[in-house]
Amino acid sequence: MTAPTVTVTAPTAARASRGLWGDAARRLLRNRPAIVGLICIAIFISAAILAPVIAPYGPLAGTLAERYQPPSLQHLMGTDTQGRDEFTRVLYGAQVSLQVGVIAVFLALFMGGVIGAIAGGLGGKIDAVLMRIVDVLLAIPGILLAIGIIAWLDRGMLQLMLAIAITYVPVFARLLRGSLLALREADYVLAARSIGASRVRILLRHMLPNALTPLIVSATLVLATAIIDIAGLGFLGLGPPDPRTAEWGTMLTDARKFLELAPWLVYFPGLAIVISAIGFNLVGDGLRESLDPRLRR
Amino acid sequence: MALLEVTDLVVRFRTHEGTIHAVNGVSFEVEAGETLGLVGESGCGKSVTNLAVMRLLPKPAGHIEGGTVIFDGLDLVTLPESDMRELRGRDVAMIFQDPMTSLNPVLTIEEQMVETIRAHRKTTKQEARKRAIELLAMVGIPKPETRLSSYAHQFSGGMRQRVMIAMALALEPKLMIADEPTTALDVTIQAQVLELLRRLTTEAGTALILITHDLGVVAGMTQRINVMYAGFIVETATTETLFASPSHPYTVGLLHSIPRLDEVRPETLVPIEGTPPDQRRAPVGCPFAPRCAWRLEVCWSDNPALVPLDPHARLRASGPEATHLVACHNRPTPEEAAAGRPLREGFVAAPPPGGVVEELAPTEEVLA
Repeated sequence: MTAPTVTVTAPTAARASRGLWGDAARRLLRNRPAIVGLICIAIFISAAILAPVIAPYGPLAGTLAERYQPPSLQHLMGTDTQGRDEFTRVLYGAQVSLQVGVIAVFLALFMGGVIGAIAGGLGGKIDAVLMRIVDVLLAIPGILLAIGIIAWLDRGMLQLMLAIAITYVPVFARLLRGSLLALREADYVLAARSIGASRVRILLRHMLPNALTPLIVSATLVLATAIIDIAGLGFLGLGPPDPRTAEWGTMLTDARKFLELAPWLVYFPGLAIVISAIGFNLVGDGLRESLDPRLRR
Repeated sequence: MALLEVTDLVVRFRTHEGTIHAVNGVSFEVEAGETLGLVGESGCGKSVTNLAVMRLLPKPAGHIEGGTVIFDGLDLVTLPESDMRELRGRDVAMIFQDPMTSLNPVLTIEEQMVETIRAHRKTTKQEARKRAIELLAMVGIPKPETRLSSYAHQFSGGMRQRVMIAMALALEPKLMIADEPTTALDVTIQAQVLELLRRLTTEAGTALILITHDLGVVAGMTQRINVMYAGFIVETATTETLFASPSHPYTVGLLHSIPRLDEVRPETLVPIEGTPPDQRRAPVGCPFAPRCAWRLEVCWSDNPALVPLDPHARLRASGPEATHLVACHNRPTPEEAAAGRPLREGFVAAPPPGGVVEELAPTEEVLA
């Protein structure tokens, strides 16, 4: 803390503040693990976006004659059980993971955020009812819930996103509600009320931004778990409806039976899952540290 | 008519442990431009009284159970919430104890000040910003233009309290309530902040209610003092009179429990023995009786009314000629007040009815 002397100014004050986000970004870039995470995410995202450009073959192109080829210059990661280029399919797999993962997390963030804001902002009976519903959802193991939802709604990309989103709604709802409840007692909320700020204004301007930080951090971390969930569901045969779609989990299932014959078919999709999940985890942790303006280094 | 007239204010908290009798019928007035000190130990109801005036009691436990609060002709107890919101900040502003936590950590000072100004005044962002710079300069913050974009954590404690004062004064309120504004500050900063507060409220003609547990703080700051104990006002007088002739045993006790530097022969500090009463029980008798050296038998069963020290004096509730009121059955004489203990021959404080001093249940930390 700064010494409580009037003439002393905090060291950071000399530099003009660039707002919460500018400061956070600067702090994030000084965090080494977060940089590693950002690199992982950059690889992951560029693989997804640039797949059609950099992939040497089509994701479905290949002949049975060319199957089980070990990694070579023609096929960087070898070929799979259908003779398709594994490198191409890993790149296209990133597309599915990124798309489903990001949409699912945003969906969960939105639904959970609305539930949490209503519960934490209004309190009382509404809060009690909403939280009991959330408790029920939370009591069911995540992947089981997702399997149940897909079993109920049938296989499909949209269903996949929805299933994963619903799994994480309770996480965000509880998190936001908890932060809002704690913030209701905060001195600056009382101070804001004492200058005549309205309830909605206090909720949106004073409480939500303060509650947002843990939400953003946990969204990043949940994205990592969601990528693993997508692969897990794919592995269980509940992934994209078209079995030919390049999806990391589905690719693992296909390769499982030929583990001795073509182990690289397990290594590369597995590595892709690990890299993307670790990336989001590291960045999530980095964000946690950098988004708190009180944590100064 | 006085700016603020509080009459028989009763505030209770309904909690799981029972009802807390926080404020038990408090009446006082504040004149426009006047400074009033509200003194008492933690939990005596001084903060709760003012939160009730602002209608900011913690919900759902806190309730105004009775009495009226007339501010500028409006009854604040029955005023609709939307009107009350208009009034807060514009007419009555508040400064809190801990400047470390009273500013929003994720908003810049500019955002918070501009918001305060624009919540009540139709001005553009630029005008509000200009006003914010003016205000920061007024409270003595160097280079206000650059400091506007800082966050609360980039200020020291004293600076933050200055920012809070600037925000409270932004709309030139008629009444400012400062709840222990210097308690969390370094001693060297305390005097500066108090002086600033006094200068600015005097210049703007803002009435000030200064809540504190420190008699030293109110001594140089206020025109009048209310001494509170266990939710009652036990003595009220102009600051001069109160220090010259304290007439309630509790006030006497308070004065003897603070060190004085201007005494030729430093006397020993006399602590007030015991703890305040458990406010979960409805008050019976004088609340101070269990700790009082002057208590009579009647004190255990009858709570004395707040009456003029001089029964022939003209009653004045506020202003420089406010009547000295005391709620005590057995007032200490001036000599006793100076000595800090009863001097009467053979006087013994009346034992509690039943003969045993009642063991007080451990008091929960109730809202200060």
